Amino acid sequence: MTLSGRWMGLAIRPVHDGRRQGDETGRFAAAAILLPLMVLSASGHARAAERSLPAGVEQVYRAETSRIRGFDPVRVGDVTSIHAISKVYETLLQYAYLDRPYRVEPLLAEALPDVSPDGLEYLFRIRRGIFFQDDPCFAGGRGRELTADDFVYSIKRVADQKNASGGYWAFRGRIVGLDAFREASASVAPTDYDSPVEGLKATDRYCLRIRLTRPYSQLPFVLAMHYAAAVPREAVEYYGADFINHPVGTGPFILKSWRRNYRMEYVRNPKWRETGRQDAYPSSGEAADATFGLLADAGRPVPFIDRIVEYVISDGSTQWLMFLAGELDVSGVSPDNWDAVFTADGRLNEALAKRGVRVHAMPQLNTYYVGFNMDDPVVGGNRALRQALTCAFDAEQWVRFHRGRVVRAVGPIPPGVSGYDPAATGAFPFDLERARERLQEAGYPGGRDPSTGRRLELTLELGAADASTRETAELLGAFFDRIGVALRPSYNNRPAFFSKLEQRRAQMFLLNWVADYPDPQNFLQLFYSPNASPGPNRTNYRDPEYDRLYEAAETLPNGPERLELCRTMVRMVMEDCPWIFLHHPVSYGLSHRRISNYKPHDFPYGMIKYVRVDERPAPVPQGGLRGPDSGD
Amino acid sequence: MSVEGTIGPVPRGGTWAAVRHAVCGSRAARVCAGVIALFVAAALYGEAVYCWHRWRDQTPSYQRVHLDERYLPPSVLRRSRPTAESNTGTDQRPMGVRRLLYRPLGTDNLGRDVLQRLIQGARIAFLVGIITATIAIPIGTALGCLAGYFGGRVDDGIMWLNSTIAAIPGLLLVLAVAMVVGKGLTGVYLGIGLTTWVGLCRIVRAEVLKQREQGYVLAAKVLGYGSFRILFRHILPNVAHLALVTFSLRFPAAIGTEVFLSFLGIGAQGEPSWGVMLSNARLRLWQGAWWELTAVTLAIVLVVLAFNLLGDRLRDALDPRVS
Repeated sequence: MTLSGRWMGLAIRPVHDGRRQGDETGRFAAAAILLPLMVLSASGHARAAERSLPAGVEQVYRAETSRIRGFDPVRVGDVTSIHAISKVYETLLQYAYLDRPYRVEPLLAEALPDVSPDGLEYLFRIRRGIFFQDDPCFAGGRGRELTADDFVYSIKRVADQKNASGGYWAFRGRIVGLDAFREASASVAPTDYDSPVEGLKATDRYCLRIRLTRPYSQLPFVLAMHYAAAVPREAVEYYGADFINHPVGTGPFILKSWRRNYRMEYVRNPKWRETGRQDAYPSSGEAADATFGLLADAGRPVPFIDRIVEYVISDGSTQWLMFLAGELDVSGVSPDNWDAVFTADGRLNEALAKRGVRVHAMPQLNTYYVGFNMDDPVVGGNRALRQALTCAFDAEQWVRFHRGRVVRAVGPIPPGVSGYDPAATGAFPFDLERARERLQEAGYPGGRDPSTGRRLELTLELGAADASTRETAELLGAFFDRIGVALRPSYNNRPAFFSKLEQRRAQMFLLNWVADYPDPQNFLQLFYSPNASPGPNRTNYRDPEYDRLYEAAETLPNGPERLELCRTMVRMVMEDCPWIFLHHPVSYGLSHRRISNYKPHDFPYGMIKYVRVDERPAPVPQGGLRGPDSGD
Repeated sequence: MSVEGTIGPVPRGGTWAAVRHAVCGSRAARVCAGVIALFVAAALYGEAVYCWHRWRDQTPSYQRVHLDERYLPPSVLRRSRPTAESNTGTDQRPMGVRRLLYRPLGTDNLGRDVLQRLIQGARIAFLVGIITATIAIPIGTALGCLAGYFGGRVDDGIMWLNSTIAAIPGLLLVLAVAMVVGKGLTGVYLGIGLTTWVGLCRIVRAEVLKQREQGYVLAAKVLGYGSFRILFRHILPNVAHLALVTFSLRFPAAIGTEVFLSFLGIGAQGEPSWGVMLSNARLRLWQGAWWELTAVTLAIVLVVLAFNLLGDRLRDALDPRVS
């Protein structure tokens, strides 16, 4: 199980246990937050005062990318492609760039939707004066205005079985009549997009009404996903199967050239200037944002960048050398270049610091845990044993072993999601004395199993057998050894591992969960009993009271009442210890001096419009820094 | 009256005399034998340590984690440091005392003693070598004898099996067997043992074909002995040296295969096999921790080289095709 982050259109992708635990990867990257860990070198904010850019110098952003599958928002779901799509297409709602915990804000909608008191009806008003880019698919080649019908059409496309969209899970059983539309689309005949779907209606040109089958407070997050982006029907019909290669959107950039598996180039969408569209840089954020100069551009029109050039570079060392040479503006930090970036005590290497390279660290929306199978006769029915093992987990040493690349987890919910409590210490923090007491209470005094007379032996299932997984398991074994319990690691390949989990044959297992959206429900569902294996509740945790609270929280709108329910559920889980909470991984990124307004985000799609490049007329002759993209 | 003692081509004790001569005859061979003896001693010591901890139901010292002692470089004399473990009562080492040969080959990523793990690696390597040879040599010898002596359909059947197995890429077959049996050393034993008998089988068959035309076999037949008695009491001792040569050459090959499988994560599980150590140490090289990789590599090179050189000497002395 590896991890990763994604840095504004480049880099490292994790293999994770995402929704349905790793079965479908790449739908949603999860990555992170936040300022306590965001180390910015001094040079970044000093410049905040002189914001005006030299006139006539094209601002070019250069980055690395991987090969993409295409630009059809409905058919494509891998991280790299979502980055590409979200430069061109836009959604009704988007994540606020600077705010944490994450929240959604209107993008193509005028405001957040009006929700009916029963939570079943959402009314969106669409912004007027939003135009699609010019394209031969439109009459006269001139992009037309965006209407509510475009969203009806786009969401129907997700449901159309002929599109085989990977995004339908977010809509299944939620919108009245949409499942029936999906059934009908299975026939050989071309799908009839004019057939009405009751829950999806454009009541007038700028008004979209969505009716749900039951309350679904995560709908705003779903509508911020690229699957729900506004796609013009003309383009789909004009290009047919080739639509995937011809993006026609409303976004801040348009695709200028695309040389497959080599180079992609986007330029500022001229339609914005032509129609007078102005989107502003956020004027509020977290408390520390102003200190780091992230609010210096508050209220200014975005995007700041004129041109984005991305290269497909699969070789890690080439990427790194190009970053050093200034040919790429941002870079991830992989284990291979770790020691080239950081000194032994974890500080930025002096040579890089002198050049004004900045480090961005962000804990990801990703929780690693050791799960206990609650159906197992040894650990399942013995709460004191689980508590003893939780007390024996030495979080401080664990973080040290990972060389600061993780932050400790005290509960299932990672920082950056509402419901996370930074002050919490966990119900059973590391305490060997207490662990031994609990163990005695569990019926294993000194770790001895009275039925065999030998040490209690527990089996930990792992989904890989590589060196770092082995060492992780050995370290956990060393922790349990201190209270006299023997841990036997059992290494599997991924399919074997998941089949053991599904058949509930694993006693203990090491796993992680990456958030689909920044909502506590996404983590709390992992303890809801109807989700038990083969569902995402891999521990098969069952508690009628928990289930009751979970169901109550599902129907509540976001607010203090729901938050309180979530906190109660977290406390129940901490007390019952179906998991040992291990850590949230931190991913690292680097950016050059000329990049500003850069803040790591877990859902960074489309956020490139906020980033600023300060390209000076005469490039500083520094380590082979190139002028405005002259070489290609 | 014992027939083989009087009319066989190799006089009684001839094989062993030749072995003794091959081992003691040259300085290089003596050095090789010495290296092997050293590794045998280490493996026996490792087995003793392993059994002791098993009997006491403890985590063995070579598995204990000391995060405060990560990446200690090799050193003859060093000052031991207080550790977090010493506060928790599981480790009672005196603090700050200079100690001779304390972690002489350094420590790994989890602060475990490289030397102790190297010795455990030798134990596993020798186990693999011996057990796989015990599986492969009897199979190869028996099938080779049967095919060579009886000929006809028996020969056809056995050689068909032989050719079929030989035609499958060896490592893939080992991997397949290891996958079916499950990860762990049992899979490695069976995987290597059940796939490497083919070479020996072919050599033994050829030799038996030659031997069965010899006068002593004819004499035994004239005396009215049964086929199996002739085959296993009279011919077998005269082809046994082939098994010995094969053993000395198969042994290092089996060790190499085990290291390879463990490196890939299919072999030893949760035990410090050389392959596991290599796979771990490889990740630490860029942090400057070269000693674990170096120590394991040297150990493998030494033991494989010693066995190969000695095996060559034995073959020179015993193999009729060479001599």
